[in-house]
Amino acid sequence: MLNLIVTIPFLSALILALVYLYNPSKKREKLYASVGVGSILITTILSLNTLYQVVSSGESINTLLYEWISIDNFTINLAFIADPLSAVMIGFITFIGLLIHIYAVGYMSGDEGFGKFFSYFNLFMGSMLLLVLANTPIIMFIGWELVGLSSYLLIGYYHRDGANIKAANKAFILNRVGDFGFIMGILILFLVAGSNGFTFTDIESGISKVSLTTLSFIGVLLFVGAMGKSAQIPLYVWLPDAMAGPTPVSALIHAATMVTAGVYMVARFSFIYELIPNVGEFIAIIGVSSALFAAIIASYQSDIKKILAYSTMSQLGYMFVAVGLGFYDEGIFHVFTHAFFKALLFMGAGAVIIAMHHEQNIFKMGGLKKELKLVYITMFIATLAISGIPPFAGFFSKDAILISAYTSGYTTIWVLASLTAALTSYYMFRLLFVVFHSKENTKSLVKLTPSMTVPLVILAIGATLAGFAQNGFSEFLSITNSSLNIEHSLELMLESLNVVLALIGMGVAYKLYSKDAIEAKANTLVKKVIINKFYIDEIYELIIMKPIVAASKLIANVIDPKGFDLVIKLNVWIYRSTGEVFSKLQNGLVRYYALYMIIGVSAMSIYIIIKLGV
Amino acid sequence: MLETSIFIILSLFMLGGSIAIITNKQTVFSVFGFLIVMIGFGGMFALLDNRFLALAQIMVSVGAVVVLSMLAVLSVNAQEKNLPNEPYKYRWIVFSSILVLPFTYLIYKTLSSLAKEFTTNGFTSKDIGSELFNSWVLPFEIVSILLLTAMIGAIVIARKDNS
Amino acid sequence: MNPDMFFLLASVLFSIGLVGIISRRNLFIVYISIELMLSSINLILATLSKLSNDPAGSVMALIIIAVIAAEAALFLAIIIHLNRLKRSIDSDDFKELAQKGDS
Repeated sequence: MLNLIVTIPFLSALILALVYLYNPSKKREKLYASVGVGSILITTILSLNTLYQVVSSGESINTLLYEWISIDNFTINLAFIADPLSAVMIGFITFIGLLIHIYAVGYMSGDEGFGKFFSYFNLFMGSMLLLVLANTPIIMFIGWELVGLSSYLLIGYYHRDGANIKAANKAFILNRVGDFGFIMGILILFLVAGSNGFTFTDIESGISKVSLTTLSFIGVLLFVGAMGKSAQIPLYVWLPDAMAGPTPVSALIHAATMVTAGVYMVARFSFIYELIPNVGEFIAIIGVSSALFAAIIASYQSDIKKILAYSTMSQLGYMFVAVGLGFYDEGIFHVFTHAFFKALLFMGAGAVIIAMHHEQNIFKMGGLKKELKLVYITMFIATLAISGIPPFAGFFSKDAILISAYTSGYTTIWVLASLTAALTSYYMFRLLFVVFHSKENTKSLVKLTPSMTVPLVILAIGATLAGFAQNGFSEFLSITNSSLNIEHSLELMLESLNVVLALIGMGVAYKLYSKDAIEAKANTLVKKVIINKFYIDEIYELIIMKPIVAASKLIANVIDPKGFDLVIKLNVWIYRSTGEVFSKLQNGLVRYYALYMIIGVSAMSIYIIIKLGV
Repeated sequence: MLETSIFIILSLFMLGGSIAIITNKQTVFSVFGFLIVMIGFGGMFALLDNRFLALAQIMVSVGAVVVLSMLAVLSVNAQEKNLPNEPYKYRWIVFSSILVLPFTYLIYKTLSSLAKEFTTNGFTSKDIGSELFNSWVLPFEIVSILLLTAMIGAIVIARKDNS
Repeated sequence: MNPDMFFLLASVLFSIGLVGIISRRNLFIVYISIELMLSSINLILATLSKLSNDPAGSVMALIIIAVIAAEAALFLAIIIHLNRLKRSIDSDDFKELAQKGDS
């Protein structure tokens, strides 16, 4: 069954691609939609079935699809494993994926590349499932790369505008930089621990004899891959630019699924990271720094999708705090809840954008709560969830992370994370109030189709209820080793503190933005720096891009023509001049040819006389 | 003794004739040298007690070949100015003779290692005739066809194209 | 009178013929040098025949003389034909084997 879960999306992607390429200009939206959504529907049913089986039987499922490499003892097979971690991941990935596919049918209707879009979308789903279900790091890496590829294809979907292509390139290249670290990590891991075989269980059994320094090295290298994929500092700069893709893409890939692959990877390799808590600290520090950094930038952004992008980066930081400190269950739980409300937020934003004729600046919108009632209510629920206000989902997951940080003794991280929580609440409510409350705009709105509004409702229900699954979640996953021994009263105090911080953020936003929404101007130096996203892009351009481009130019214009070409020309010149010398021998006069023969005979005679002593 | 002195005189003539062949500018003088050399060869065959061969040499080589060459040279009738001018003739001759020296030495040494004395008598026409028509009939016939072919070929090549 | 003398004479005449082929440009002289070489081979054959008391050598020499006659006819015919083509008996004038651009 796991085989089907992975192959059906790939198959449907192939079918859609072939049908689309056969005649790209024919409008077959119904066909594309039914194949594209239908395959994900089947996959969702199968995944939920798998999850049910794993929950009820308590055992993991292993299936083998294809024996790929088998040399002596070394085998790498295309095999899948559905242990609790994978089962949970495929459960919500397919479910939310299905909802976003349905949403995309409405969002992308009328677009000329409809079939191409669904083909890429299904390709992405297949790759993500491959990544999550793989039972060896190598197959996971194949999924990792394919997901990056799908992301590139989908970000650059509106390919007629050059800026979108640049954004897609940026995403792919930064991903690649991270993948370099990931590959190094896998290679070293194989060298030291791969003697029994290379599935996760085999590595786990072989890990005990590896030195801690090597393990730390491996841990850091694997995390570099996660930095690229999950948009943490310093490899995050692609995520805001990735918003150039269509909104369903941002919802699925850059909010709910692909960017969480890094967190999944750390959880999957938990048996390594348990042994190297220093690296875990490092991961947590990167996580909380990214969270705070992104929150600060988001507070001053004006583009609705960019605000949500930085919000994603911020929440991912929270997840890495959790898995870095060893609280894998809590981290995955936050992935789970975050998928619901972030997808909901993006889809709502997409609905608003469509309604406002593709306007994306929030300060050009306003007072939409009357016209877009359903979108308003669902986005309100999502904003409450992300700010951590009970009883919505985000409260449970964020709290679990903050409390675990506090009780493990990492007070600084706890302080910064709590501060970020307040900021999160502030900027999310700022977005809500500016778009839906403040002063009215007078543009007429586009009607929204049910395919776009129904998924919003379903996700809103999920965002409300998902939090209550927390206990079952931890019991089911049970990867975390450290238990939180904490007094009930202390726990209550910390929780209320979080709620208070969130309410403070909401209050400030209400005061500033619910009546008149004024875009922030860059009049002070601090504001200027923040609005320009701390000039990180420009710094990268200066330190990294310019030297590389200069070096390329140097090689192309100086070293290549003058250096290598010179050697080749010299070679050619030797052959040519030798040829010219020898060609003079062929002058067409037979007399000379006879002379050459006599010379040969003479040489032979001399040889015979001397050697044979005649 | 007599034979030796005849041999020496004859060989001097032949050497002189051959030097004349290769060094003269005028073609006719070379043909004269050719004539002398061929007659000398006839004498050499006679010294070897090979009467039939000497006769054949004089009849064919001198009587036919040399005469034919002379005929061809005179019928071409090249003027002094049309003869090829060879500015470096002597240099070429000297250089080639140096080149050819090892080969000559090799041939001489190989051949002289065969025997040191003549021990037999010469051949008469009867001996040669019986050998020719007993063992060498096929080459004989083929040579006759060869001569026919050469004759036809020469006529075809040398005739004027009246097209 | 021993065979060595004959062999020496034949070798020297052969080499003189060889020199004549290489050095001279006049086609007739080339032809005559070739005949010289062939005849010196005849002399060697006759000497060998007398040495080994086998008439086969003499018969071979006889046949070679017949070939010389045939070859004379053809060679001279060709020279006359070439002279008709280019009005020259200089072997350096017949350069058709060379391609354009060669020296």
